[in-house]
Amino acid sequence: MEVEVSRSGGLAGLRLTWTVEVEDQPDPEEWVLLVERLPWSETPPAPPEPDRYTYRIRCEPHEATLAERQVTGPWRDLVDRVRDVAEPSRGRPNADGRAAPSRAPGPVTETDAPPAE
Amino acid sequence: MPQPPAPRDPRAVVFARARARAGIVPPYLLLRIAAAEEYYDVAAEAARRSLLRDEPMRELRLGGAHPGLLPHEHTRSTTEREGAATGAGAATEAAAPTDAERVPEAGTAEPVLAEPAPDRRVSDAEGAESLPGRLARVEGQPATGDAAVDQAYDGLGEVWALFERVYGRDAIDGEGSPLEATVHFGDRYDNAFWDGERMVFGDGDGEVFRGFTQSLSVIGHELAHGVTEMTARLRYRDQSGALNEHVSDVFGALTEQYAMGQDADAATWLIGEGIFTELVQGRALRSMLEPGTAYDDDVLGRDPQPAHLRDYIVTDADNGGVHLNSGIPNRAFALAAVEVGGFAWEHVGRVWYDTLTGGTLRPNDGFAVFATATLAAARDRYGEGSREVRAVANGWDAVGVEPE
Repeated sequence: MEVEVSRSGGLAGLRLTWTVEVEDQPDPEEWVLLVERLPWSETPPAPPEPDRYTYRIRCEPHEATLAERQVTGPWRDLVDRVRDVAEPSRGRPNADGRAAPSRAPGPVTETDAPPAE
Repeated sequence: MPQPPAPRDPRAVVFARARARAGIVPPYLLLRIAAAEEYYDVAAEAARRSLLRDEPMRELRLGGAHPGLLPHEHTRSTTEREGAATGAGAATEAAAPTDAERVPEAGTAEPVLAEPAPDRRVSDAEGAESLPGRLARVEGQPATGDAAVDQAYDGLGEVWALFERVYGRDAIDGEGSPLEATVHFGDRYDNAFWDGERMVFGDGDGEVFRGFTQSLSVIGHELAHGVTEMTARLRYRDQSGALNEHVSDVFGALTEQYAMGQDADAATWLIGEGIFTELVQGRALRSMLEPGTAYDDDVLGRDPQPAHLRDYIVTDADNGGVHLNSGIPNRAFALAAVEVGGFAWEHVGRVWYDTLTGGTLRPNDGFAVFATATLAAARDRYGEGSREVRAVANGWDAVGVEPE
């Protein structure tokens, strides 16, 4: 199972994509639980705010597009988790909408705790 | 180093001085961030100077002194500044109360001050993602020593000055509403945005971005989103969204040019110069004049902005590529401004301001309708067959946009 978080927009218009193979994680059950309890079908379109980020979150067969201010609760938990364990790839979107890899992900050197919220 | 042109009108002196100052760091040699930082220091210095210059004038006017007696440094264009100052001076004299009527408190003497002033409020989110945060500096208070707070405060003053002194628009709503900003938003937050009420600035991650308040064009960009929201209301998606972004880049760039007294040739036409760290191979986020050339970096890749309609990027991301496709109208504007020459805020900038506020645009309008509206605005202001109309038409033609 693969979880992909893609963040676009922002003042710079730079796109970042984080991808996590759930099976490779030390706690795959936690990931599955988190993904399954996400309100995938309850993401009403939000009016865009200039220069704010848009998140597209995918985990087959689910997909949701969220404005930054909608990324709260379990969505925020997922995004924070994904960002903690994966290095982002950058690049302009390709035809299939995925970010083009621009460099090999470096080793994750940080073992920091999840951001305190 | 290009020589200033021979004086042809009274403004030429100002123009030549502006050029000489801008020439301290030749804009197109600013390939490295260290140099960009030095360049921004010049803008910050200009901002500080202008505020220092305005402050005693306000105080002296309270005391009844004629503003014309004050030394006046020509760092900007000036027809507006001097016109406004003279007008305000005349009004002050006419309305000057006798000594018996004069009240000692500054607050009650308010009606004497005919000249509007900004009302800035900068808050500090202190690393959290909640708004507005703790109020850190309000209008008239001295610098706090927190660079982001003070940069936001100074920057808001410069954007306010452009809109009020050049276009006669007092603040975002034109009625002197407060200019509100929040800095230190989030943890290593890599962005700045407009939330419908205030400008919000992150500190950057320190690897790709340093703080977002370091760039005057970014501060101008955010505030201009507010002006667009109050006027043309361009919908933030696809072509109308790219135009919304474009308008913010236009007034962001003009804020910087106005603050530094730069003409269209001396201007960098860069958006967000100085916000990349020295690790990034790039000058800025975007180049209005040469979209697609602002950065080319191992990590970030190459600046993806198209410079011509044939390269328009169709994507779902970024609200339909609003930060990408804005390159197309951006180039049309910059080319027109360079073709007319002189201070861009005085001519093509005015045409764009007229277009934005003229009431003819609809929220879903795309490039072609917008181009038509700019041509109509240029004709209204400068006349059919004027060089301004020709330059605007040539700008759109160069990027492949055909007015309807």
